[in-house]
Amino acid sequence: MPKWKNSRPIYVGHFRSFCCGQEMGHKGAEEEEMENVEFEASEIEYVSYGGEHHLPLIMNLVDQELSEPYSIFTYRYFVYLWPQLSFLAFHKGKCVGTVVCKMGEHRNTFRGYIAMLVVIKPYRGRGIGTTELVTRSIKVMMESGCEEVTLEAEVTNKGALALYGRLGFIRAKRLFHYYLNGVDAFRLKLLFPRSELHPSLPLMADKYESQMQSDQGDTPFK
Amino acid sequence: MAEDRASEPPSIPSRASIPSGDNSVWADVSPLLHAACQDLQEGELIHGDNFNLFAAMSALEIMDPKMDSGIACTYYSLDEAIENGVAPVPVSADKTTDVQCVIDIMDHLLACEATWHKGHSLAQTVYSCLYLLRPERTLSHALLHSYCKVIRATCKAILSVVSEARTHEEEDLFTMSYGLPLSGDGDEKCLSLLNAVEETISRQLRSCKASSSKRRVSEDIEQLQNNPDLEEGYCKALLCRLRFRKHFYHLLMSMKRPQGRGLEMARKHIAACISEIDYIKKSSDFLRVNAHEMSKQNLENTTASVYLFQALEYFMKLLQDLDAICSCTLAPSLEAALLFVVKFQKSKPDLVARAHLQLLLVQDGKLYGRDPIFSMTTRAAGLPEVAEMHDIQKNEFMVQLGQLVINLLKILCTNAAWQRRKLGKMLQDWRVTYVQLEMAFKEEFEEASKTSNNKKVCFKIYQHILAWVEEQTYWIAFRFLNLGFELELYSVHDYCMVYWYTYVVLIKLAEKKHLRMSMSSDSAKKKTKKKRDSFKDGETDYQISAAVLFLQSQIYLSEGLSMMFAALRNEHRIVPLQSPFNTEHEIFVQQFELLQKACVPDHVSYATFKESTIHANFATLAICDYFKEAQRIAKEVKSSFANDPDTMAELRRIEQVAERNSIALNVCRAGALDPKLKISFAFCHHPFYATAIVKRS
Repeated sequence: MPKWKNSRPIYVGHFRSFCCGQEMGHKGAEEEEMENVEFEASEIEYVSYGGEHHLPLIMNLVDQELSEPYSIFTYRYFVYLWPQLSFLAFHKGKCVGTVVCKMGEHRNTFRGYIAMLVVIKPYRGRGIGTTELVTRSIKVMMESGCEEVTLEAEVTNKGALALYGRLGFIRAKRLFHYYLNGVDAFRLKLLFPRSELHPSLPLMADKYESQMQSDQGDTPFK
Repeated sequence: MAEDRASEPPSIPSRASIPSGDNSVWADVSPLLHAACQDLQEGELIHGDNFNLFAAMSALEIMDPKMDSGIACTYYSLDEAIENGVAPVPVSADKTTDVQCVIDIMDHLLACEATWHKGHSLAQTVYSCLYLLRPERTLSHALLHSYCKVIRATCKAILSVVSEARTHEEEDLFTMSYGLPLSGDGDEKCLSLLNAVEETISRQLRSCKASSSKRRVSEDIEQLQNNPDLEEGYCKALLCRLRFRKHFYHLLMSMKRPQGRGLEMARKHIAACISEIDYIKKSSDFLRVNAHEMSKQNLENTTASVYLFQALEYFMKLLQDLDAICSCTLAPSLEAALLFVVKFQKSKPDLVARAHLQLLLVQDGKLYGRDPIFSMTTRAAGLPEVAEMHDIQKNEFMVQLGQLVINLLKILCTNAAWQRRKLGKMLQDWRVTYVQLEMAFKEEFEEASKTSNNKKVCFKIYQHILAWVEEQTYWIAFRFLNLGFELELYSVHDYCMVYWYTYVVLIKLAEKKHLRMSMSSDSAKKKTKKKRDSFKDGETDYQISAAVLFLQSQIYLSEGLSMMFAALRNEHRIVPLQSPFNTEHEIFVQQFELLQKACVPDHVSYATFKESTIHANFATLAICDYFKEAQRIAKEVKSSFANDPDTMAELRRIEQVAERNSIALNVCRAGALDPKLKISFAFCHHPFYATAIVKRS
């Protein structure tokens, strides 16, 4: 989102998604080497963002895995305005993954945006990132009337690229030297089907009129 | 900011000193804040009415080392650093150490310069050197002073080229020079001082060589430093560094000359720079062995030499890229210029080289600052020179077309990522201009047809220009699609539709090219026939078909690839993507959005794509062997490009890809039921035509 970039000081990095999936056709070796925690899929509990007590958990996870220096205000911007789009994954009381998103009007399209996605290393490759966290957010975006979903990912993050590719995202653009470390990014985009293109599909949920799409939404602070 | 902090102890400004404005009254809120703090819970915030969370994201957290880069500084101002002896002049009282340290500074600056070119800010790279920031401080030290001067002048020259060529955000950080002293007093005369210093050191070198051979002891020349055993080594190490700077500066000045007049001279300086880089590399062993204690003690010495070698590598690449620019023939041909940029971009040149090319190509709104775009366009459209004088150039849409051509040249000089985006968006402009020109021409034609003589000329000009605009539009679309491969924007699942789209675009491109060329050859024929009936006509025809045949081979290759991917999918060798959220239709819409918006080509949709690929299977591919055809045409047409090594190489690549895919397809067909047969794709023979690799797992 170029608008953000311009409005933020240059040394504050861009949002990115970080999640390790398997590359297409490359199963095996890598997977075995990873020190995975033994757990049943049913042991993972998913919760929607529930309030200020979740904030340190999200911040901690993102700080661990991503290098960009986000201030607490960055997190609050997302989770306060779009709490319904943020999810946390817990295993035996420990937060092991999270997704943070937003949605709003962008050049005459109502679009969703995945800002951060983190699953801690030992829990990767088991579909926590994809099937659960991201799809939950995307579903809410779809039901809220989003026409598309976007995000940025480092070109070197093969895991994330494969993950989003499987969900139907295309690499719409390459962003030259996007991150502070000089690495390029891909702008990934997922276009939802339009009802007129697919008359057989049921109509998408009506646009969520009351949604606080604009960046100037009311703040829930005191 | 930092300076303020250092010079003034933190003090609360006197409250009375803030005057009230028309609409505001300043009041002390400390008691209120204090009271509120007592009542605040964690996570709560006091804010004004205009507060919003989006703006709050831009907040910097003071004292967080990740955000507040200032807290890592030892000194808060330049003066404070200098007072504490951080950048002494001379660097050392001991002359040998001084020379060693100056060489370290030179090498450090070279590394900083390369880092700057690679996209970091000037302030954090070259101008992190305190000697550059206070030009007057080095006055007493001729060697250091001359070097700092030439560095400043070089940075200024490069900055101006990049700022002038400015086309997008890539340069933002590069051109930000804040209030840095880019030009010290007399920096424009940096070369005379540099020459003088070089002359002195050359004499010192000659003198020490003479004394070592004991032919003559020269007393009158003061030595560079104290140790006679090291004199020669240090003189040499300094000389190559100074000479590199001299030639590099000369090179930049030569390239700046209008209409490419300095290119030949620039090439000589490039050769000189390259040989000095060689000497710098050779001097590193001597310098390492004799490194001064200061740098021997810490490991920095090794890292510094790693940086030096990386920097030299960068400069070598830059020099090669600049040399490629200087090799431009400056032929007055738009087509040649476009092909030249595309070829130049293949070596992935960095910003500085690309900016230089752009400035060479477009100066004062003319090609190479010399040839008017209108006449270049009419010539590219195959019109005789009489058209160059025609009134049509005053037509507003022709002016608009000229601007589009200039923009195209500039866009082709940008990095691939930006280039693709801009080319995609530009397609609509070309389409709109085509329609506008067509309408304008119709009107003018009706007007002109009143005089039959003018009528013929006008009609011809319109025909040619319209055909050329269309051809150019499809050329841009072709490049847009190809760049997607270079940028890795497509996944295996997209290949089928991407090659299909490339195929339909190529058909149009070939069609328009053929039309335009046959129009030109018609006029050429008429001309020659007037002179004498010659059998040369046949030769012209052959030339024309060669260019179109070259495209033809790519048409077959693209179609073949598209059908191969379709067959692999239809025969279940590739598992199609099953997204829970959308279908292939949405992927198609997104991938070709910009092309579709510009109707490039007309009447192409997802439905047409599906129609042409849904029935593809191994059996149909056996009947119509696209790869064999591509290979055959590529082989045949080679003889027409004997004098064109680039096209020859491209034809060879096309042949290879076609041949390999033909074999792979046969293997797939034969082993259709073999589940162990694994197929993968690589760009080992061509940057955007994939080669299928079949393996038994």
